Amino acid sequence: MAFNANLEVTDKGTGKITLSGELDASVAPLFRAEVEKAVAQKVKRLALVMDGLDYMSSAGLRALIFAKQKMGANTDVYIIGAQESVMETLTMTGFHNSVIILDSYDAAKIEG
Amino acid sequence: MSKHILESLTLPGTLASLSSIGNYVMKVAAAAGIDKSAAYRLRLAVDEIATNCVVHGYDEGGLEGMLYLGGSIDDKTLTVYIEDTAMPYDPRQTPAPDDLDVPLEEREIGGLGVFLALRGVDQFEYEYVNGRNRSIFIMNRTSDDKPKAG
Repeated sequence: MAFNANLEVTDKGTGKITLSGELDASVAPLFRAEVEKAVAQKVKRLALVMDGLDYMSSAGLRALIFAKQKMGANTDVYIIGAQESVMETLTMTGFHNSVIILDSYDAAKIEG
Repeated sequence: MSKHILESLTLPGTLASLSSIGNYVMKVAAAAGIDKSAAYRLRLAVDEIATNCVVHGYDEGGLEGMLYLGGSIDDKTLTVYIEDTAMPYDPRQTPAPDDLDVPLEEREIGGLGVFLALRGVDQFEYEYVNGRNRSIFIMNRTSDDKPKAG
């Protein structure tokens, strides 16, 4: 299924990137481009909405490293609605320790 | 023991081939009756190795070439292989990431793909044969798996 990444910046400064389809090395640049846009708009935190993301290879993991490096160690990165197999990839590689995992976009939790 | 040889697939050694490779793997996994999460892991493994063939084998080697896929199904296993004609390289020699506990912003990015590939399949083998790197991915079929194709 075709990949899509779409950034929305909320009025509380959250960069909400909705990912859908399949994320492999050929389309990872599209994800990075949205991260770059979020950084350019000086978002306070990043929320990656993944309910519709059916597949993610290590290219997605590398893009997460890229996001964390661009935004700084103290910026929170939320992973929202990750499907089971995607979650397994995040856990197996220790990425779950560096992000905040949520089942759904809870604005109160995320934006305080 | 009966062995069903899968239709082979030849594609350009570029990242644009990854989605066709994914479709092929999912199709043969379904034919072998492999369950959803095992099929995902197999697809991921083949994707990771294919990506490395393209990026490290061909692109960084200043080469162009094709990717050759095929495999077989027998009573106990599904075997998928991928071959390339870049410089000899055994993915099993890739150092595993030793920093899985380290915060993301301090991580080395190398080795994650091969790490996922090797861990995701029941058996992984590598050969260099007739000028080709060949990575072989083997998944066990459970006793409930029934072949969809004859």
